[in-house]
Formats: sequence, C-alpha cells, structure tokens
Amino acid sequence: MKKIEAIIQPFKLEPVKEALKNIGIDGMTITEVRGHGRQKGHKEVYRGQEYNVDLLPKIKLELVVTDARLNEVVKTLTDAARTGKIGDGKVFVYDVAEAIRIRNDDRGEAAL
Amino acid sequence: MMTAEKPRFDPVRALEERTAAVDAQVLSAWQRSLATAMPAGGALLAVGGYGRRQLFPYSDVDLLLLFASDKAALAHKEEIATFLQQLWDAGLRVSQSVRTPAECAELHDGNVELSVSLLDQRYLAGYASVYGVLLEKLPRFVHGQRDALVRHLSHMTRERHARFNGTFHHLEPNIKEAPGGLRDLQLVSWLAQIAGTTPRAFSQPVHVPELDDARRFLFAIRGYLHEQARRDSNVLTFDAQEWVAEQMALEEAAVMRDYFRSARAVHRSAMGVLESEEARASSLFAQFRDRRSRVSNADFSVARERVYFRLPQQLEAEPELLLRLMQFVARHGIRLSLEAEKRITPQLAAVRAYFASSRAVWPALNEALAMPHAALALRVAHESGALGALFPELEAIDCLVIRDFFHRYTVDEHTFVAIQTLADLRHQKSAPASSFAGLLAEIENPGVLMFALLFHDVGKGNPERGHVDASLHLAEKAMERIQMPAQERETVRFLIRHHLEISATMNGRDPFDPATARHLAGIAGTVENLQRLTLVTYADISAVNPTVMTPWRAEQLWQLYLLTYNELTRELETERIEEAGSPEESAFLEGIPKRYLRTHTEADIALHMKLDHESRAQGVAVNLEKLNSVYRLTLVTRDRPFLFATIAGTLSSFGMNILKAEAFANRRGTVLDTFSFADPLRTLELNPTEADRLRATLERAVMGRADVKQLLRSRPRISPPSRKARIEPTVHFDDHASQSATLIQVVAEDRPGLLYDIASTISSRGASIDVVLIDTEAHKAIDVFYVTTDRRKLEAGEREALQQALLTTLRG
Repeated sequence: MKKIEAIIQPFKLEPVKEALKNIGIDGMTITEVRGHGRQKGHKEVYRGQEYNVDLLPKIKLELVVTDARLNEVVKTLTDAARTGKIGDGKVFVYDVAEAIRIRNDDRGEAAL
Repeated sequence: MMTAEKPRFDPVRALEERTAAVDAQVLSAWQRSLATAMPAGGALLAVGGYGRRQLFPYSDVDLLLLFASDKAALAHKEEIATFLQQLWDAGLRVSQSVRTPAECAELHDGNVELSVSLLDQRYLAGYASVYGVLLEKLPRFVHGQRDALVRHLSHMTRERHARFNGTFHHLEPNIKEAPGGLRDLQLVSWLAQIAGTTPRAFSQPVHVPELDDARRFLFAIRGYLHEQARRDSNVLTFDAQEWVAEQMALEEAAVMRDYFRSARAVHRSAMGVLESEEARASSLFAQFRDRRSRVSNADFSVARERVYFRLPQQLEAEPELLLRLMQFVARHGIRLSLEAEKRITPQLAAVRAYFASSRAVWPALNEALAMPHAALALRVAHESGALGALFPELEAIDCLVIRDFFHRYTVDEHTFVAIQTLADLRHQKSAPASSFAGLLAEIENPGVLMFALLFHDVGKGNPERGHVDASLHLAEKAMERIQMPAQERETVRFLIRHHLEISATMNGRDPFDPATARHLAGIAGTVENLQRLTLVTYADISAVNPTVMTPWRAEQLWQLYLLTYNELTRELETERIEEAGSPEESAFLEGIPKRYLRTHTEADIALHMKLDHESRAQGVAVNLEKLNSVYRLTLVTRDRPFLFATIAGTLSSFGMNILKAEAFANRRGTVLDTFSFADPLRTLELNPTEADRLRATLERAVMGRADVKQLLRSRPRISPPSRKARIEPTVHFDDHASQSATLIQVVAEDRPGLLYDIASTISSRGASIDVVLIDTEAHKAIDVFYVTTDRRKLEAGEREALQQALLTTLRG
C-alpha cells in the first residue's frame, strides 16, 4: 500500500476530485494549507502598502491506494492538477505499513 | 402558519393516554408493594414530564417517593426496591428520588433540577398528610426563592443554548435540548408558574395558547423519533427526517420548514420571558435598564431593555411607524418587547396592504440600513412579521431548507447571518477580517449592500427560474415599489447578478493567470463595484456555515481582490477610448481612459460635454452641485502645468476637505477634473453667495488671474481631529503598471491642503499629471497619480528625486 500526498492549487481541487472519482477513487483527506516551493512568494502593492504574499494558499490531498493502482492514480492526479506553470504543486509517495478499518478491524488492503 | 398538514394523530392526547396507562401500572405496583407495607408517612408523586402528563414512548418515568422523615424512608428500603423492580420488570425506565418535604423545600446549587421538577409534581398515591406538608411548604419555597430559581434556570438555559451555538438553525437538530426545542417550551411554562406562585398558593402549569401549534408539532416529532429509535432519542437526523416525513405524509423539506417555524416561535417566546424575568431578578440590570430608558423618544419607550410603542394604536393609523421602529432598533440595538410584537401581529395585513402601493420607503429604510445595528433591526422586523409585510418577496425563503453538504442554515437565516457578518466587520481589528473592514469603511452607501444581501438569495424560493434570475426579478419589484433611486437600483442589480462570480473564480480559476484578474475586472468595471462585490462575497461565504470562512479562504478572497484591484487601476492608463459615436462625442471622449465610461452615467457625460463646449469659448467651465452631504465640483479646461494643484489649492483655501478626485485628459489636451469635497465649516450652506465666489475664484485661478499661494495664506484653519497614532507617509513608484506612465501611490495622513502640496510638488519637478485617483479612508489619504515627463515614464533619477521631494512635503 502507498500513501499519496499531493499539494495542489486550490482551483484544481474539483477537477482532481472528479478525475479520481472517474477511476473509482472516492476516499481522501483534504486540508487547506499554505506554502510555497520554487514558486516562492511575490509582492503585491495595494494603496501604497506592500503585501508580502510569501505563503500561498494550497490544498493538501492525502489518500492511500494499493500498490497495483499507484501509477494509475498518480498519473490521473497529476494530469488533472497540471497547468504547466510554476506553482502547480508536488506529489509525494510513501510506503504504508498497515491500514486498519476502526469499525470492523479489517486489515491491509481490505481496509482501504 | 404551518404549511404542513396536522399530524395524523393528536400527540397531546396520545401522551395523556400513555400517561394514564403508566399511572395504572405504577399504582398497581404501589398497591402490591409499598401501600401495604407502609403503615403511614409516605406518598408517591409523578414529577417532570410524567408529572405534566406528557410521557413520551421510551421516556423515563420520573417518580418522587416522599417520606415524612429519612428514618421512615430507610425503614422501607426493601419495599422501595421491590416496588421499583416491579416497574422495571414491566418495561418502564424509572428514574426515582426519595426525599422529605423539608428537603424538597431547599435549594441545592448542585441539584436545581429537583426543585424545577417539583413545579410539575402530581400526586399519585400514599398518605395525603405527607403530601399536604409538601403542598404547604412548596408555594412558600418557590415564592421565596423566585429570583434564585430564575437565575438558575437562566444559567442552565444559556449553558444549554451555548452547546448549540445559540441557534435553532441546525440541519440535524436536537428537538429537545436545542434552542427552540421542547426544553425551551417548558421553560416558558416554568417561568410563568414561578411568577404566578404566591406564598399560599402554588401556580398550576401554565398553558400558553400562542405556542399550541409549535407544541403539537414538536410533540408529534418527538413521539415519532422515540418510536423509530425505540429509545429516548431526540436528534432529528437526516434519516429520521425521511422517516418522520413519511409518517406525516409530507415532503422532508416541509417537515423541516415547520420544525424551524415551531422552533423560532418557541425560542422567541422563551427568550422574551427569560430576559424579562432576568431583568426583574437582577438589580444591576435594573440600573442599566433605567439608563437605557433615556433613549426613549416620542414614538417608542424603552423599559427592561425592550422597546414598547408609546401609543400602541398609532400603528393602525400610521403604518410608517414600522420604518421608524426599524430605525430605532438599528440605532440603539434594543429588541422589541413581547407586547410590541403582539401589537404588530394584528396590524400585519393592513401594513402589507399599505406598503403594497408604491411609496417612498427607501430613504427611511436606507437610513436604518446604514446604522450600527441594522442587522438586528432586520432580524427583529423579520421575526415580528413586519419585514414580510413590507417585502412579501421575502416570504418565499422563510425557513426554507436547501439540503446540501455545506449549508447549515435555512435560506432566511443564511441571509440574516450574511447581513450580520457585514455589520460585524466594522468591529474587526485583526487580519484577515480587518482588510475587509477597511473596504467597508470606504463604501459610501452601505445600506445598498445590506439591501442587496437581503434579496441576493430570495429567488431560492422559486427554483424553476434559476435562483439569481428569480432574485433579480423579485428585487426589481421591491425596488420599484419603495422608489429606490436609479443609481442604487443599478448597484443592487449588479451585486445580485454577480454575487456568485468571485466564489466561482476562487474555486475554478488560477488567480495568477492574468486572464483571471481581467475577467473579474471586466465584471466589476470600477474599483467601487469590486469593493462592493468582494464584501458581498465575504458575507455570503461566511454565512454558509460558521467554519467555512477560514483565514485560508479569506486570504484567497483578499488576494483575488488585490489582483483585480491592481488590474483595474493599471487599466486606467493603458485602455483609452479610441472611437466614440458622434463627432462631438469623439471630440470630447477620444483618449480618455475607458474607466470613465463605466463610472459615469449618460447624464454625467452630457454635462461634461456641455462644459467642454463652454470651456472652448470661455477657457474654463465650472459646475458645482450638492449631493447628499458632499459637494461635487466638475471643471473642464485646457491642460496646463500646475492645473490639478491649482484647483486643489483653491478648494483648500475655502476650507473645503477634498474626499475624492479624478483627473482625465482627452487626446486634444482637454482636462476633466472632478472633486468631491466636504464643507466642514458649512461655508457654502450658510452663505449662499460663497458658492458663486468659489466658482469665480476657481475660474480666475485656473486662468492664472489669481495666485493660489496667496489664497492659501488666508485659508480657514481647521483643527485636525485628535488621534493616537500618526500615519507614516509612504510614496511608492510602479513602472510596470502602465506602458507609458509612472504610477505613484501616496498614502499619508489627510490634512487641509494636502492634495495641493502633493500635486504642486509633482508639477514643480516638471512632471505632468495624466490621471489621478484620490480617496480618503477616515484620516488616511490614498492618492494615485499617473505621471509622465516629456510624454515618457520617469527615469530612475527623476523617481528618486521626486520621492524625496514628496516625502519632505508630506513630513512637513
């Protein structure tokens, strides 16, 4: 099992959710986060005052998938989140040692 | 009135029947165990809901075993256990307490529930002499402890309400404990009982006929919930709503609409009675009450922190009294008394008929909407039915449930929360809300925003048409009827039509794609409209549910505002009118920034062209008019050095306080300058001839026949208002904002003559002012100038020198 953690642009949340749903992925955790990578921040001037916009609003998606589906899910996600510009975000993949469904104690892939 | 059919069975009778059946079981067990074993000294009482004969299926059966003494109780411990066991075996959930009459007549801070449950006590069996002792002590106790009981009930109620965020608008409500639930219904009765008890006579449960409909409905729902869950379950979950609707042969939305209406009636009544009892019980509050009563006027009096009509029959003869009532509430933030509400109810049909004709309601309504407690005034008017009589269009969203994942409130509640959010912005001091508070402070007529929010979702009651179109249609009818002026109507239309636009952009478009800001700038057209739409969006999102406007989302909205604002001001200089209609129009309009067309009406443009025509003959043409509390000066002439500074200086020399200014130039070199200014010394108002003198002086100064510096030496001095912190001036240059000019943004503390000083500093450096946007926010002046030297942007050295010169001027 793999955990996929993706940082994406907020306006890409709906397209990404829709694309994942189309390949049968419904379950995920979504968090509103702030951050920047190479995009860095930028300065906005408003009425003579400079606003340092160094941490930009982003969305963090977390989901766990079977090893067999990893490539398909990552490709679907990145295709849907991509604009081709700086700031599109990142995807991180981790190994998952165990998954347990609290309700009935299902283990491993059965718990996904 | 309820929209739902009456429940198919009579819940009140059903509860009485169940109570009677349980009475029979309890009495039978009593006869078999305690009655024979106990020679004397004990009695059995029903208390709580069972005592009131309101025993729901699967609810606890509350019993009080009353013994003459502790010793007598201890002596029958085994028989009591056998008695209770029999009841449990019969399937009853018994909740019992064993007390002496003396214990019942004591107030224990830790167990006030016992004292309260005794208000509903009912004799079942046993020795009348023991019960007689209680009956003798109880009225004295309740009467003597009236204030303490009220305080305890108040504390318990407010704690309970706080667990539900103080609102009855929950999509899955707890119909017993939540505000407006059965517990509140009981509170109304308890408080009346406590108030009605004398030292000698105990008041029986009080029937409140106005709440009959709500009582029957809530009883029916609770009965169904208990039957379905087969236990004491009081949460009307989505699944339970489905089941209850099926039982009542109604749509789920209709059940929930009736629930919210019932809860609203109960909540209003409970809070009305509670607050009036609290006020009576608290001496501190009484002092405050007296102080507040000083705000009373010829129409309304204030007592116990509630508004009363001075002449209750006046409303019948003068329906416009309701508008004054809204203004009174909006000004002072005091709710209506129950008595005032009762006076309004029978007049609603007449009020509705009166306001159905076209009448000039807008000035009074707008005044109320701009006051500090406007949100409360609208809510109070809504709750009393007055708002619905004034605007029947709003009745379509009364308690309307739209079930979706995000919305927590009914549509009407969402609307009032949105309006409250906007009103509360005025007090927001910390980021990110403070940024939006700054925008609100700049809005000239916040009443229009409030009105737009009041109608923005009214079309949700008419889903076939599409909610935005339906809202526009209904708002149009209302605006026509209240005789709202054309300009305000256009703003309301704009806000309703586009109220979802920024949200949709936030969720669906890349904010850093320049096309996104261009898209929104195209919709907003002007900075003022962008500010209004941003505020409506902020309020609308915040009112979806209490957690949705996270700092993260507020930041997203603010960023989009900034990008669009910069796009709008940048476009000022680059996008100019290339072609106009007639030769006269072309002669005047060509070369003026496109923004001009969006920010001026046809009547404005006609006036400007007339002034242009006059100026060609006379060298300069001036128009001065009064608009509400400010004056507007429009001046057309040929461009020349120091022109803008000259006009600003002349106005300052007359003691005028410049609030806004714009300068546009056309391709022929004709300049149109517009100044909005306040007259703090009331010079023009008190001396009508001064207006002519001002016009003449301006003409002379512009034509170079009067020296502005000389004029300024004799200008009236106005003491600046005291303030804790001075605003440090900033001068920011932007060379990328425009293709052909350098943008200078100056933010400084406003003072008389400031604009003259800035403009003359720029002109004295040989720079030409192409476009100007001047604004003030409280004591802060925010000035944007697009300047050129020899028709090109300023060079680095020129920028640096000008910045130093400006800072020196500003630091004075």
